[in-house]
Amino acid sequence: MTLGSIWARTRRELSQMLAITVKDIRVYYLSPPMVMFGLLMPFLMFFSFSVSRGLSVGVSVARLLAITTFFTASSAGPVILPMERKTRSYERMLVAPVSIFSILFGKAMVGAAFGLAVSLLTLVVAALALGAPLASLVGLLLAMILASISFSAMGLLFALWPTDSATPVGSTMMPATLIRWPLMFISGVFVPLDQMSPVLRVISYISPLTYTQDLMNHTVLGHGLQSQALDWVVLLASTGVFLVVTFWFDRIQKRRGY
Amino acid sequence: MPETAIEVDALTRDYGPLRAVDGISFSVAPGEVFGFLGPNGAGKTTTVRMLTTILTPTSGSARIFGHDVSHDSYQARLQFGVVPEESNIFTELSAWDNLMFSARLYQVPRGERERRAEELLRMFDLWDKRDEKTQVFSRGMRRKVTIAMSLIHTPRLLFLDEPTSGLDVQSTRAIHDQVRALNQAGMTIFLTTHRLEEANSLCHRIAIIDHGRLAATDTPANLRAIMRQVQSVEVQIEGVGADDIKALGSAAGVTRLVRQGQMLRLYTSDPVSTIRAILEYADRNGRTVNSLAAGGPSLEDVFLYLTGGAAAIGGETPASQMANAAGNGRSK
Repeated sequence: MTLGSIWARTRRELSQMLAITVKDIRVYYLSPPMVMFGLLMPFLMFFSFSVSRGLSVGVSVARLLAITTFFTASSAGPVILPMERKTRSYERMLVAPVSIFSILFGKAMVGAAFGLAVSLLTLVVAALALGAPLASLVGLLLAMILASISFSAMGLLFALWPTDSATPVGSTMMPATLIRWPLMFISGVFVPLDQMSPVLRVISYISPLTYTQDLMNHTVLGHGLQSQALDWVVLLASTGVFLVVTFWFDRIQKRRGY
Repeated sequence: MPETAIEVDALTRDYGPLRAVDGISFSVAPGEVFGFLGPNGAGKTTTVRMLTTILTPTSGSARIFGHDVSHDSYQARLQFGVVPEESNIFTELSAWDNLMFSARLYQVPRGERERRAEELLRMFDLWDKRDEKTQVFSRGMRRKVTIAMSLIHTPRLLFLDEPTSGLDVQSTRAIHDQVRALNQAGMTIFLTTHRLEEANSLCHRIAIIDHGRLAATDTPANLRAIMRQVQSVEVQIEGVGADDIKALGSAAGVTRLVRQGQMLRLYTSDPVSTIRAILEYADRNGRTVNSLAAGGPSLEDVFLYLTGGAAAIGGETPASQMANAAGNGRSK
């Protein structure tokens, strides 16, 4: 394989990936499940557990950004893939000369863009209207990008959980929500890590949301409980793990016949 | 060695303990319209899903224009377009946007995309509705968009899985005309259907599949000759009794008689003579015929006939013809 052919293949795959992402954005962003689970739910959670608790603006903003990137980005996969598997439009991509990597990464970008857009909007409102402090704007933007990709990949993992047949959106979204909700309570979002019991704190280290919240604290408030480098490494590693497991699930599905 | 469009060798697919496709082998020549005929659940769609790389075969192999579907799937996918049984377009998008998405997916060059999309939308009479969301389209129109999307990259081979299923007569005729036109332009067509008449009218060769196994691959003319052996006449005689059954069972051309409630089904190679014999019998014996109809063979009948199950349906396979000649009698 020559360098030229590798470059041609890369350009082609990127172009196909972009076509999938743009198509999904046009088709699904305003679909009711996306609005419900991706847009309304994180704000509902935030206002239910954070407002009127005497929190500073900085703490509230760091918390809201972690919730929105987490919930919004991870909502796209469990909405889009079951819908496409049900209507068999997913197969339109599988029979095209596109690698499964481009298909899945293109779809991961949909959730990532959704999570990033909603959290950016949150950030703009927080900075302009509430005058939230921002310790490192560049660091915060990078954290939001990485967290959005990571949680979008997590959403795909829920969506491609091997089943014998195509499941409706509700059947994928409910287990995904049941896993995501408790994560928020053990990840230092609503209860800070230093106020948790030792057992709960050990469990919290399994959750990638713990490291996202800590990164948000570092970049908004200027301090966190853990090393910022550790937060970056774990978030990057979890993105890789989510993608690898997603590809593995896809192979199982292919053997079973989607 | 001449190039083949599709080369299938001992292709098998299991779903757990169920064998959906059982070691089938066949080949399709370039420029051919190849029919894959079988009843629902016979294994047609599973075969198409393996040939189009969606499903991994349990064993065996398949090549599309020389490219193995398991090991060289990228090149294989470049050669074909797929029209699945269900129209899988994006209903939130317009017909135009669906075609543009397909064109980007298949990397149709930028300048070529719009020209090709316009050509296809005009070909399928959808140009005036190109900007409407396809969710308001009728089933037939969605089918046309699905076919247009699969043709956007000008493939050499087109898989059509039950292309006219659930469509009205007008849409069915339009799609049949398009299939013929595409074939005349040089495209190879692999058509799955459970409708005998559809396969008969469109295909150069037909393979008959049931229970995952191929029973025969032949031209429509040769298969029609076989089918003539398993025609039947259905008759309902008021107060039908054992004497009637005995008498009608030996009527002209009858190879087997099956009683289904009040209805008698007489398998025959000569329906006209059999009908005449039934009416003469009824007239002679003062019996009232409530209904009388000649029926074509079901796919199940043809399959059983071809796989040597003639005894079950009354036809004479080459094997049973020899036995009958030796005086073993007919199956009744």
